Amino acid sequence: MPLPLKVLLVDEEVVRAAMVEEALCQEGHEVICRLSSPASLNEMVARHSPDVVIIDMESPDRDTLDSMSLLHRENPRPVVFFADQHDPDSMQAALKAGVSAYVVDGLVAGRVKAVMDVAIARFESFQSMRKELDRARNQLAERKRIEKAKGLLMKHQSCDEEQAYRMLRKLAMDRGQRIADVADSVIDILERLEKGL
Amino acid sequence: MSEANTFITTSRPPEIDTLTLGFIPLIDAALLIIAREGGHFAAQGLDVNLSRENAWSTLRDKVAAGFLDGAHMLAPMPLAMSLGMSRAPCETLAPIVLGTHGNTLVLSNRYAEGMAPPDPNDPARNARALRDLLSDRLIHHRGTPPRLAMVYPYSWQHLQIRAWLERGGVDPDNDVELIALPPARMVDALHEGQIDGFCVGEPWGSLAEHHGIGRIVASGADLFPGHPEKVLGVTASWAHRYPDTLSALLRAIQAAADWLDSGEEAQQQTLQWLALPPYLDRHVSHLDKLPLGQAPTMQYLTHLSLHPEAFAVMAAHMRPLAESRGNRLDPEVLARCYRPLL
Repeated sequence: MPLPLKVLLVDEEVVRAAMVEEALCQEGHEVICRLSSPASLNEMVARHSPDVVIIDMESPDRDTLDSMSLLHRENPRPVVFFADQHDPDSMQAALKAGVSAYVVDGLVAGRVKAVMDVAIARFESFQSMRKELDRARNQLAERKRIEKAKGLLMKHQSCDEEQAYRMLRKLAMDRGQRIADVADSVIDILERLEKGL
Repeated sequence: MSEANTFITTSRPPEIDTLTLGFIPLIDAALLIIAREGGHFAAQGLDVNLSRENAWSTLRDKVAAGFLDGAHMLAPMPLAMSLGMSRAPCETLAPIVLGTHGNTLVLSNRYAEGMAPPDPNDPARNARALRDLLSDRLIHHRGTPPRLAMVYPYSWQHLQIRAWLERGGVDPDNDVELIALPPARMVDALHEGQIDGFCVGEPWGSLAEHHGIGRIVASGADLFPGHPEKVLGVTASWAHRYPDTLSALLRAIQAAADWLDSGEEAQQQTLQWLALPPYLDRHVSHLDKLPLGQAPTMQYLTHLSLHPEAFAVMAAHMRPLAESRGNRLDPEVLARCYRPLL
């Protein structure tokens, strides 16, 4: 078990923050807080003296944290951007996952890297979770459009659902398009017809 | 100037035609927005996506990592990046100026009460009033010194807020608390009482005043007349890899600037583009025209040519800040960062 570190987590994405917190606690680290309010970030760092601050790359609070060591050299503890120059790959991985870290000056790089690896992994799995969710949403939206196109075809061609679906599939094959795209143009054409355009 | 000429006269097609440039929501991102919306990038064969960033440090890191091809940058940022201030060194170039002046200093009503409008002949006048307020201890807000925000340590906003306080007899290190906040957070933070004032580029100062949340008490242009405020920044490795793409970018931005100079109509159109949701959204709705060349900001967007002397002045002002952090301002690095290519 590595030596425990005090970690301040700044992330407004509640689910992701919980994922990171759980993973870090499992490793024995102490996770302090995960709410963000930029102006009080200074006070939070002063009060809790974290060893590491992990922050969402896209957080507007990053500039506050980024400049802290320059603006407050005595108090709070110096917090410097953790950009491991010897390991540009993990730096890239962190940026890609959308996470950045600030550490107390002088903290052994290896100890921070272990924490970073955990954070990167959780940010990455959250990212793929979200992608999966987006894809599911898109699929749902596509299915709805196909249903709508089928409905319009059934009405205009006086056919049943099965026949309407076969019509769409044939159109898609003829045109080399996806069924959802064919559905879009069918909806477009038939709706215009209905409006008498 | 031979290098400059090869850059603008080359007619070779760009090496890459799809790029992403970062920007922070500010009036002086306008030339990039005009170049995109007005088709000037497209005329050079470029498909440019503009990515709005939430923080200067994030924009900086994305450029350094190659996630952005280039960006709208604070004038001192390429130097700070090249010297490795705040992060691992990354040699960065600024070939043109995207904005001159444009910053305002705003104080909350509590502090600004009784202060005069900015006076170009006496820019620190209201700072003296602040000094008197603080020394009389007339103000006990939060029981702590006033908290003032600027945008980034290596910025004109930081230099301006410090210079303003110092000239008024207020010690920026002990009499106030300085923090960094991104421009788009300033007005809300002032409204919520998290800060007592700020120094930032437009439209945020005039927006605070428009909402009656605070008042403009000084202008960056009065404190440091002629300062280049924003530049286009790209990494040196990007510029060397894609020289023809860079020259196409510069030609497009030049065309955008020429168009903006064409008159009132272009300015109105620009304001409408700035008001689009991906850019400044509703935060320019208090403006009925683009405030160019007007007091107190004296903002200019079309003085593209980069004058190395102006950046040497900037570096001289930044020197104490850099040296206090153990960074040496290498004149060679400075010369490499700010090389005119137009």
